[in-house]
Amino acid sequence: MKLWQKAASACAGVLAAVVAVCSGAMLLYARHTILDMSREQVRTKQRDLAVSFSEMAGYYLRDTDSDAVRDSLVNYCFARFADNTAVLMRRDQTLSSALDIDPSDWLAPRADPVPVPEPWGGAYRDQTFFEGKIRDRDVLMAASEVVVRQEAYAVYVVEDVMDIHRSLTVMALIFLGVSLAGVALGAGAVTLLMRRGARPLAALSGAARRIAGGEYDIRADVDTADEIGALAADFNTMAQAVQDHVAELSETAQRQRLFIGGVTHEFKTPLTAILLHTRLLQKVNMTEDERRQSLAHIERQCTWLERLTQKLLKTVALKQQIAKKQVPVRELIDRVRASTQQLLASRNVALETACDGGTVFVDEDLMQSLLVNLVDNASKAYDPGGGEGRVWLTACDNVLEVCDAGRGIPAEALGRIFEPFYMVDKSRSKKNGGSGLGLALAKQIADAHGARLEVYSAPGKGTAVQVFLQ
Amino acid sequence: MNNRILIVEDDESIASAVALNLQVAGYDCAVFDDGRRALQALETDHAYDLALLDIMLPGVDGFELFGHMQRYNIPVIYMTAKTDSASEIKGLRDGAEDYIVKPFDVLTLMVRMEKVLRRTGRLNTVYRVRDIELNSETRTVTKGGRPVYLQPMEFDVLLLLLRYKNMTVTREQLMEEVWGYDYVGETRVLDIKIFSLRKKLDLGDAIRTLPKLGYRLEDR
Repeated sequence: MKLWQKAASACAGVLAAVVAVCSGAMLLYARHTILDMSREQVRTKQRDLAVSFSEMAGYYLRDTDSDAVRDSLVNYCFARFADNTAVLMRRDQTLSSALDIDPSDWLAPRADPVPVPEPWGGAYRDQTFFEGKIRDRDVLMAASEVVVRQEAYAVYVVEDVMDIHRSLTVMALIFLGVSLAGVALGAGAVTLLMRRGARPLAALSGAARRIAGGEYDIRADVDTADEIGALAADFNTMAQAVQDHVAELSETAQRQRLFIGGVTHEFKTPLTAILLHTRLLQKVNMTEDERRQSLAHIERQCTWLERLTQKLLKTVALKQQIAKKQVPVRELIDRVRASTQQLLASRNVALETACDGGTVFVDEDLMQSLLVNLVDNASKAYDPGGGEGRVWLTACDNVLEVCDAGRGIPAEALGRIFEPFYMVDKSRSKKNGGSGLGLALAKQIADAHGARLEVYSAPGKGTAVQVFLQ
Repeated sequence: MNNRILIVEDDESIASAVALNLQVAGYDCAVFDDGRRALQALETDHAYDLALLDIMLPGVDGFELFGHMQRYNIPVIYMTAKTDSASEIKGLRDGAEDYIVKPFDVLTLMVRMEKVLRRTGRLNTVYRVRDIELNSETRTVTKGGRPVYLQPMEFDVLLLLLRYKNMTVTREQLMEEVWGYDYVGETRVLDIKIFSLRKKLDLGDAIRTLPKLGYRLEDR
């Protein structure tokens, strides 16, 4: 059930209840009032009738009148005032009536106390009153006894109140119709309001669905000043956060895919060589010399695979937490020097170091590895047999720098040198035993330290790599 | 006349293994480890029947080399470690005859090479060992210039041994190639064919039996 449906039905229910109670009370009150008025009317009418009749009859009648004269005079006098609701009786005899009932069956006029004599020779007693159902009709009836010339007459007024009931029913029906229309109008208004109010919700829900479907750049276009507007603003903030996060995740995933692709590619070449030489040894009749060469190839490729694996392991193992502490820069540089000594000597490259004697807050093993990789890389910038090369390692004020005066890096390659397996000159790198992972590893270590790596290079003049520690 | 194959592959181990294998099987190979050097050499000598190109090459890469190969009308098979379909599609759409993904087996490579050579009408149809000459087109065999009559099956066995000269050909391979894929009969029939080949062509020592492996026709 939708919100607007709920609100509309709730509203209709409440309206209907209120209208029902109100109109019920009103109808009851109206009925009560009208009946009271009718009663009063009947009483007044009967009293007037009785008084008028008795006065006139008292005036006209003589004690000497014969029965026939008397009866006709009585009838005449009564007819002057009576209408079709009036009944005149003498003892059990109906003298005048327009009704088909005998009112004395239901109501007897009061017989005592002794009537008060009136100056015109008549008298009447107090009124009696009946209210009830006679032959399925609601009836009000008033009666009193009137004495004219020692003869007692009963004057009745019998009012049918069915009309009143009918009117009340009609009124109730009109009330019902009006209240139904009111309820319908009210529910309609609420529906309209709620639906207009819920439109931004639909927009929000649509946006949420599209975001769930992968369109992370979708925002809810809701600009209302109410709570829904606030919700939409929060929603959009959340969507932005989700988008950023997803972008970050897919970038990571993309990097990992590229990395794994690189790994696979790097493994395939040595594996192919090993496979080919193994098949050669198995299937071809080779000379002893060829056989030795093949085995040497296999050994070289296996050694290469072993080193590649080691480097990969280091690169991957970096994901775990690093242990930073304050390390004297001089100590760090000495360790780098010690572990690169042999390598640099074999390449005829000298390492010159300088430092400010401070400390750096790093994981010393990892930072050593980073610097060794940079120094190793720098030493490869010199052509073998081209005279002694020189690599400078300088540490000052939380910046570590490795420089060379070698061949430099072409500008178009600068942006890619930290990518895993990227090599500026593939065949030369391979001859130097490069894996394309050294600088990628350095970058990862720098990232793990929150440090920034910057490279400046001029082809033919040299390269400087700087590590800016935090 | 042996088929001449141009190999451009920067990994020396792979290049040497492929070249040696092709050479012993009767191909003439020229190996370059650099695209640019290969191009320079092509200017003076481009009488190659087929080129095997690596894609990731220093200097000029395989895709770029391909254009020059077309100019010299040399069919190309790529030897690539790039398994992503994008490069395969590029390679084949540009008209390369085939490609083979590393790591591969030389036997597979040779089968594909033969297909390409046959399709382009360059496949060597005359095989020689000692004073014996086999022509696969006319299906004739001569020894010292004189024709020798061989049964069809003997001819097929000899052809296979010659195609993979100096390489071990397994019994399964022979059975499959000569008798068909699902031959389930007696495999000793192969021994009989080998026996009569040795006798008819005086190849007693040249066709070597490698126990549990197969046979190898050696001329080195």
